[in-house]
Amino acid sequence: MTSAALRLGAASDGLPAEGRAPGMMTNIVTIAGRELRESVRARWFVLYTVAFAVLGLAISMVSAAATGGSGLASFGRTTAGLINLVLLVVPLMALTAGAGAIASDRERGMLQYLLAQPVSRLEVLLGKYFGLAGALLACICLGLGTCAAVLALKGMGTKPSGVLWLAGLSFLLALSMLSLGILISTLARRASVAVGTSVFAWLTLVFVTDLGLMAGAIALRLRIEQLFALSLANPLQVFKMWSLHAADASLDVLGPAGLYATEEFGNRLHWIFGVCMMAWIVVPLAIGAVVMSRRSPV
Amino acid sequence: MKHACTPILIAVCASLCGAVTTPTKHDVPAPPRNVGVFAERGEIGRRIAAAKEGATIEIGPGVYREHIRIDKRVTLIGRPGAVIDGAGSGDIVEIAAAGVTLRGFTVRNTGIDLEQENAAIRVLAADAVIEDNVLDDVLFGIDLRSAPGGVVRGNRIGGKDLDIARRGDGLRLWRSDGALIEHNTLHDGRDAILWYSSGITVRGNRSDNCRYGLHLMFSDDVVIENNALEGNSVGLYLMYSSGVEITGNKFVRNRGPSGYGIGLKEADRFSVRDNLFTGNRVGVYLDGSPFTTKQPGVFTKNILAFNDIGVMFLPSARGNEFFENNFIDNIDQVSVAGRGSLDGNRFWRGERGNFWSDYTGYDRDRDGVGDFVHESRTLFESMTDRNPQMRLFLFSPAQQAIEFIGRALPAVRPEAKFEDEVPLMTPVDIAFSSESSSANGIALGATSVGLLGLGAGVLLGARKEGIS
Repeated sequence: MTSAALRLGAASDGLPAEGRAPGMMTNIVTIAGRELRESVRARWFVLYTVAFAVLGLAISMVSAAATGGSGLASFGRTTAGLINLVLLVVPLMALTAGAGAIASDRERGMLQYLLAQPVSRLEVLLGKYFGLAGALLACICLGLGTCAAVLALKGMGTKPSGVLWLAGLSFLLALSMLSLGILISTLARRASVAVGTSVFAWLTLVFVTDLGLMAGAIALRLRIEQLFALSLANPLQVFKMWSLHAADASLDVLGPAGLYATEEFGNRLHWIFGVCMMAWIVVPLAIGAVVMSRRSPV
Repeated sequence: MKHACTPILIAVCASLCGAVTTPTKHDVPAPPRNVGVFAERGEIGRRIAAAKEGATIEIGPGVYREHIRIDKRVTLIGRPGAVIDGAGSGDIVEIAAAGVTLRGFTVRNTGIDLEQENAAIRVLAADAVIEDNVLDDVLFGIDLRSAPGGVVRGNRIGGKDLDIARRGDGLRLWRSDGALIEHNTLHDGRDAILWYSSGITVRGNRSDNCRYGLHLMFSDDVVIENNALEGNSVGLYLMYSSGVEITGNKFVRNRGPSGYGIGLKEADRFSVRDNLFTGNRVGVYLDGSPFTTKQPGVFTKNILAFNDIGVMFLPSARGNEFFENNFIDNIDQVSVAGRGSLDGNRFWRGERGNFWSDYTGYDRDRDGVGDFVHESRTLFESMTDRNPQMRLFLFSPAQQAIEFIGRALPAVRPEAKFEDEVPLMTPVDIAFSSESSSANGIALGATSVGLLGLGAGVLLGARKEGIS
């Protein structure tokens, strides 16, 4: 930590004396590099990456064993299992990583130290964001890459394009959850509070909203179009539906509501899901930037 | 929770059934009304007029813009490149005499009048042989009306690029017993349909991007074998038909609002063997079949893999026996619409059940049969059986949470949907060529290498930067 900070300082020292000359991009890249370096050495990153890869491996092996190597594959439990895994692991990882980013630095006085350098608060925020995003990208690629290797070796008929879509969309999901994590981090007083809040947010997004929507749909007799619209509010559902749509060009696997969405919107679904996901990436991060600019770094 | 959802379920089921069972507006076809187009003879017409009964007429290459009525027993052979073009109006070829053979033509461009049922080849007499023709851009393809003993072989029938509601049937038999339909290819049409036609053999045909790959209405004693019905709305639908043998067919990716591999409505005396069902919305859909329960509906040695629902029963379906089938990774292996039960159906015969990819038991005495009963009782499945719209939450962790609750709390544990007392430990060996190509494996491997490389690149890049 210290050496990294020193290097950052050293980098700034080497610059012309006019102060902020290095420009925003350089600063962001420098901070992002530092954040990425620290992340990939951190215990959480190694643990999550190994857990993700091992669970993905298990899912791939089990589904390959279940088909008896028949090579038949449509949208099977492999992809379903991988989507499920991503839905559990990636948001947890991104939320906790984001939550730790600002709050822990503030708690240790690092943030104050960092901001004493010729960098703006926004640059610190974005730098940390992109650094962590890089680490998450590495984790997702390693995890899903391992799964794809197993599926290829076992001769499963999973489509490569499906795996690529899943990886890309997982990354978008990670970005949105990272935004939310960073927002929590800027708001929280202490690192422990930030991480606790992010776990609570994870529980809410993964279980509470879906279960609530299920109960609500039955109790209030929601129409399928209402059900579909409400489900768009949850980025995890957006990720899931987008993955299915990308894999199969149809959501009819999701029953009447999915069929409605496919018939009503067709390929415009890509845009709908994209806009929802972008909103979840940009809005929390923007709020986080505002909060950050107004709060004392101590 | 259970009570509130009932009306929704009923509505959904009703609309589902309605969509499937409402008879289409096929009424008894009126006699052909567009005789007028045949009045003017073209070159082929003149040669037929000049020919003797039983003659063979060969037609050389060229585009013949005419409507042809064959009213004597002749064999009409098109040499390669012989095209009959209907110029977008009416029927094109009408066979009005028994024993006519039509072979080797390209017939294209019928009218688009659904009321008149404009057809490329209409057969109104017995024992016609329609062989090796290519039909392109046609409303109705080959239409046999009261034309028993016909042979329709090796034709390729392509529909018009119209909305499904405005397309015609690629192949239709109306009261035409004893026909042989083999090795034809149908694409982009509406249905291939048999009306009131018995003793038919349908063999080795392909159908894709149609509405019904094959549809039987009141047609008895039909053999359906080695067909490939892919990417249609429904693969094969049997309605009110009896004595049907379905063997060695492939039903692949039949999806959409109905989306059945096979649908059986009030069918009787049927057997379904050695078929492959994969990627369908519903592999096998059973509604009131077998209609009389004197003889069980037999399903054996089929592969049902990767369908959204493997087998779907309406509560009215009783008296079916499933044994030695492979149920592999269907999202919902067996589903009962509504609150029905599967009591009247059995999932084994003798000492042999089915292979279930989700079977959790083991086989200590190594007789190939699991030591524990296979029973399906997941809470989420029983929810989606009753509330299909809940399928929106498939594959989400919330689904797992509900299934966990179902396992952990006996109070909310649903009753077992069905039981297989003698589940098989390994898949039954059923011969189907592997669908997966090695090219896919290589591409998948490359994808894997790419992803791993990207991940490792980020890691290494970060570490390298750190050392410097």
